[in-house]
Amino acid sequence: MWSVVKSVLAAFFGVQREERRREDFEKGRPGAFILVGIVMALLLVGVVALVAIQAAR
Amino acid sequence: MRTLLVWMAGSLGLALGVPLAMANGWNMPVGVTDVSREIHSLHMTIFWICVIIGVVVFGVMFYSLFRFRRSKGAKSAHFHENTTVEVIWTAVPLLILVGMAVPATATLKKMYDASDAELDVMIIGQQWRWRYEYLGEDVAFTSNLGTPRDQIRGAEARGEHYLLEVDEPLVLPINRKVRFLMTSDDVIHSWWVPELAVKQDTIPGFVNENWVRINEPGIYRGQCAELCGMDHGFMPVVVHAMEEEDFDAWLAERKEAAEQEAMGVDREWELAELMERGEGVYGSICASCHQAEGQGSPPAFPALAGNQRLIDDLEWHLDTVINGVSGTAMPAFRSTLNPVEIAAVVTWTRNAWGNDTGEAVQPADVAERLAQ
Ligand SMILES: [Cu+2]
Repeated sequence: MWSVVKSVLAAFFGVQREERRREDFEKGRPGAFILVGIVMALLLVGVVALVAIQAAR
Repeated sequence: MRTLLVWMAGSLGLALGVPLAMANGWNMPVGVTDVSREIHSLHMTIFWICVIIGVVVFGVMFYSLFRFRRSKGAKSAHFHENTTVEVIWTAVPLLILVGMAVPATATLKKMYDASDAELDVMIIGQQWRWRYEYLGEDVAFTSNLGTPRDQIRGAEARGEHYLLEVDEPLVLPINRKVRFLMTSDDVIHSWWVPELAVKQDTIPGFVNENWVRINEPGIYRGQCAELCGMDHGFMPVVVHAMEEEDFDAWLAERKEAAEQEAMGVDREWELAELMERGEGVYGSICASCHQAEGQGSPPAFPALAGNQRLIDDLEWHLDTVINGVSGTAMPAFRSTLNPVEIAAVVTWTRNAWGNDTGEAVQPADVAERLAQ
């Protein structure tokens, strides 16, 4: 699970190691990446919204 | 090595020459409000950041192109990835962007804070003029293009403020926070005065807010900045910023004049008096479409001179001016012109250019119609 989170974070940032990418494609399940991706996208939106609300005060 | 030096000197010269050229009348103005100064300094900061990035990136690129060229036996490297370098070139732009966003957001917050204003002015865009209403003061007027039509047609030499002059400027006090409530009667316009750092769309059905606190008295010019039809280029903005006591005196004078005008509605007007007033109203309001000699420009703008329906039917003529004609370019003037102005301009068009009806329309009758 932790490795899925790390891979999704790397995708958000836009940089990934070649070995890890190959590993993900060989061993990972697509459903896990999709689920973690959606949850973390929502988290990112939440963090940005919090920063914006702070800034607007 | 020689060539390389020439390249470097050339790009450096370009990087320095561009801002120098801009400082000489090509750059955005510093302006006369605290907000405009802030916007200008933000603009310059970000400009210099871009210049530095440009010089570094293109410097490295040109140096690499030259230093490792094939004629000197350079061989290309074949490797797939370098995570460290990739992380650096992602993180550095991110930090630069966030670094620019922080001061930019702080300025934006100030620009949007129109609270605690000491004066409210309604700005209304119309095809093709601006209308200003000092809310709660009973002072309102339209500001029309002041450039003589002969200059536009090329029959006369262009003046110093060609197409940037009006018959009546928006008068504002310095050192007071003035809130603008901005809307439009017809299509989207944009009220733009560079020196005040205000460029705000005026949209029919919406009221946008903006504000200024001007630091220096003076005359500031601008234009409509949203393509809005035939005379888009002929609806300039002129702001006359005055010392506070001068502004108060001006406002009191305008209030008094408005009262006088209101009293003028009740009395009987002579034909000659109405004609004189009407000619002025026609020139500033109607002539841009119906033309100076009333010949119009059909089919969009019908001729008024020799228009048989107009000559025969006073009722229809008045109704057209007061309520406009829906589905055409003819707007309703019921709230833009006062009863005296409507009576005068109708009288003028019924008697000018050989329309000789001899009829004088009384302001009192117009006022009665407007009240219905
Ligand atoms: Cu316009």
